[in-house]
Amino acid sequence: MRYQTLTRALLIPVVGALTMTACANSDSNNTASGNDCVTGADVAAVAASDGGGAATTAPTTGTTGTNTGKTYTIAFLGALSGNNPQLGINEANAVQLAVKQANDAGTLPFTLKYTSSDDEGAPDKAPAAAQKLIDDPSVVAVVGPPFSGTTKAAEPALSDAGLLSVSPSATNPALTSQGFKTFFRVVPPDDAQGQEAAALLQKYAKSVYLVDDTSEYGKGLADVIQKELGSTSIKVTREGVSDKTQDYSSIAQKVKNANVDAMYYAGYYQGASLFAKSLKAVGYSCLAMSDDGTNDDQFIKGAQDSAEGWLFTCPCADARVDPKAKSFLDAYKTEFNADPGTYSPESYDAANAIIAAMSTISGDVTRDKVVEAVKKVDYAGLTKQVKFEPNGEVSGKTIFVYGVDNGKRVLKGTTTDLLK
Amino acid sequence: MSLQEFCQFTILGLTRGSLYALIALGYTLVYGVLQLINFAHSEVFMMGGFGGMFVIRALLGPSPGMQSFALATFYLVLGMLAGAAAGGLTAWVLERVAYRPLRKRNAPKLAFLISAIGASVFLFNFAGKLWSRQPQFVPQFFEVNKPIFDIFGATMTLIQVVIVGSAFAMMVFLDRLVATTKLGQGIRAVAQDAPTAALMGVDIDKTISRTFVLGGLLGGAAGFMFGMFSLVQYNMGFLPGIKAFAAAVLGGIGNIRGAMVGGLLLGLVENWSAIFIDTKWSDVIAFVALVLVLMFRPTGILGERLGRSA
Repeated sequence: MRYQTLTRALLIPVVGALTMTACANSDSNNTASGNDCVTGADVAAVAASDGGGAATTAPTTGTTGTNTGKTYTIAFLGALSGNNPQLGINEANAVQLAVKQANDAGTLPFTLKYTSSDDEGAPDKAPAAAQKLIDDPSVVAVVGPPFSGTTKAAEPALSDAGLLSVSPSATNPALTSQGFKTFFRVVPPDDAQGQEAAALLQKYAKSVYLVDDTSEYGKGLADVIQKELGSTSIKVTREGVSDKTQDYSSIAQKVKNANVDAMYYAGYYQGASLFAKSLKAVGYSCLAMSDDGTNDDQFIKGAQDSAEGWLFTCPCADARVDPKAKSFLDAYKTEFNADPGTYSPESYDAANAIIAAMSTISGDVTRDKVVEAVKKVDYAGLTKQVKFEPNGEVSGKTIFVYGVDNGKRVLKGTTTDLLK
Repeated sequence: MSLQEFCQFTILGLTRGSLYALIALGYTLVYGVLQLINFAHSEVFMMGGFGGMFVIRALLGPSPGMQSFALATFYLVLGMLAGAAAGGLTAWVLERVAYRPLRKRNAPKLAFLISAIGASVFLFNFAGKLWSRQPQFVPQFFEVNKPIFDIFGATMTLIQVVIVGSAFAMMVFLDRLVATTKLGQGIRAVAQDAPTAALMGVDIDKTISRTFVLGGLLGGAAGFMFGMFSLVQYNMGFLPGIKAFAAAVLGGIGNIRGAMVGGLLLGLVENWSAIFIDTKWSDVIAFVALVLVLMFRPTGILGERLGRSA
């Protein structure tokens, strides 16, 4: 028995060694050659064009009535921990700032409070996180959730409870056609981003490797891009890698072996930063693009020098480069000792649009009245004029392109500029 | 698909597999002596990642630049030792706090399982609270992607050589340790028949504690190596932990060589399925393979039992 086990144990390394030798014996003239392709560095930065709306600080649209002493809560619902908390933190801070500024301005007939509910970015935890806010009678409006997957999971409960939610960043196109009665968003849906990303890819590449992170968001966006590119001569290879993956070496190797001109990753920054490292490790040097989920300094922090040259499409304005957002940038920095991140301005707009809507309400503010008021709101935000279509979609739809240059995120311009 | 591609993915599979194997050894060692699945072992791995990262950061700062060969080797060994120490310490504490009190009171097996899961949840949340939930990275102090040698056009990079090389060294070391030393003899004796071993003068408590530490050392070192090419995060242990547990079962839980074989095999199958089918399917294929093996060999490839190993 003992002998048998030994033989068996010995057999495995021998087989392994044979495999290795088989590999070693073959010739190595098959090394992948670099192909002519555009890299992110070749995409020149265009001067920041004005995609944003008029400059505004705290909303002052309120009727300067006496404070009735009532207190209402605006809540943030979204990921504050979990795998990708940065977007949520960016947004929660902006909501908090908007609430504070509104109170400090002292023009509202009521006092606002801020609260938050953490769903960890997990769709299975989102309904419970939403329920926590629904059960709090002082909550009259919600900013969030940031992600499409959590939004889809939380929205049925919010809709049933008649509690308004304005998402700064949930971009899955289907969200506004699910019959949610209280869902609005201040960001254009992925079809807008997907269409523009496809147009860019078409300009820079003949073959594209499209990788999604199998999340609600990543898959939705990749579907749009694939559909858009499907009607062109561009060769598209599509693959999905779970966003829980920590080892991207095999997919990176596949991208490298496919010899494509461009790779587009539809997902969030954590996966993207690991993927970027792996892509560099296998020697992929062509255009690498991603989306608004990746357009965050955390991506650079994670990917380090592998981040160089990546491009991002984003329906978001960047407060750090837009001169109109100066006062917001300063206030945010003072409050949180950090730069506003991706979707901070949108979240700020969402919160302020809600506050502006609330200030038009006469009498007690109720959840129903807030929903009705938001439908009519027309608020000049930092990123755009916040005005909703009947289905909850925001009217203005601009897509920006960012890139990593020398370890810093810079605005390359809008897709309209780059496609000229 | 060319042979070059096949070799490339074989290398990736070996790299991933040798990490699985190192972690799987921790499961298998503990199972051997206690017939207990130490579900908190994934957190031992995580602690190893943090331990190694903190030491490298403390010595070299967040962006140290490339070091000379001798220095890089020195720091690499140091980081690995730090990871191993952190893992070993965590495992030691785990045994003391989560398992020994139950053992002393003759608690049913189910209680151990709950204690293990509880310890795991506690540890990763504790780490998340303490060191932030954001992903963190081991500062790069040598050129990880430097190609070392080519096998049929498939390049093996420095980090892959380091991981596979040190994992194999550690596995051989452990195998010899269990087979030849007095401690190893004790471990095997406890695994075979604890009461009898006690009668023969083996200190059971000490042996069990040392078995945990041994598994922790390997898991911690694996955590550091994983951190070098991927990330360090409070929940980094979950997936590798589950995979390594599967690998241990695949090879035959309680069997040391089984864990090594299972780990390597799982890594290879995952990567091969990524090229032959689709990356999305690699987990599915890996677990289908696991079920198939267990259907025909319910005790795993090399069979159960630590005591039997030569």
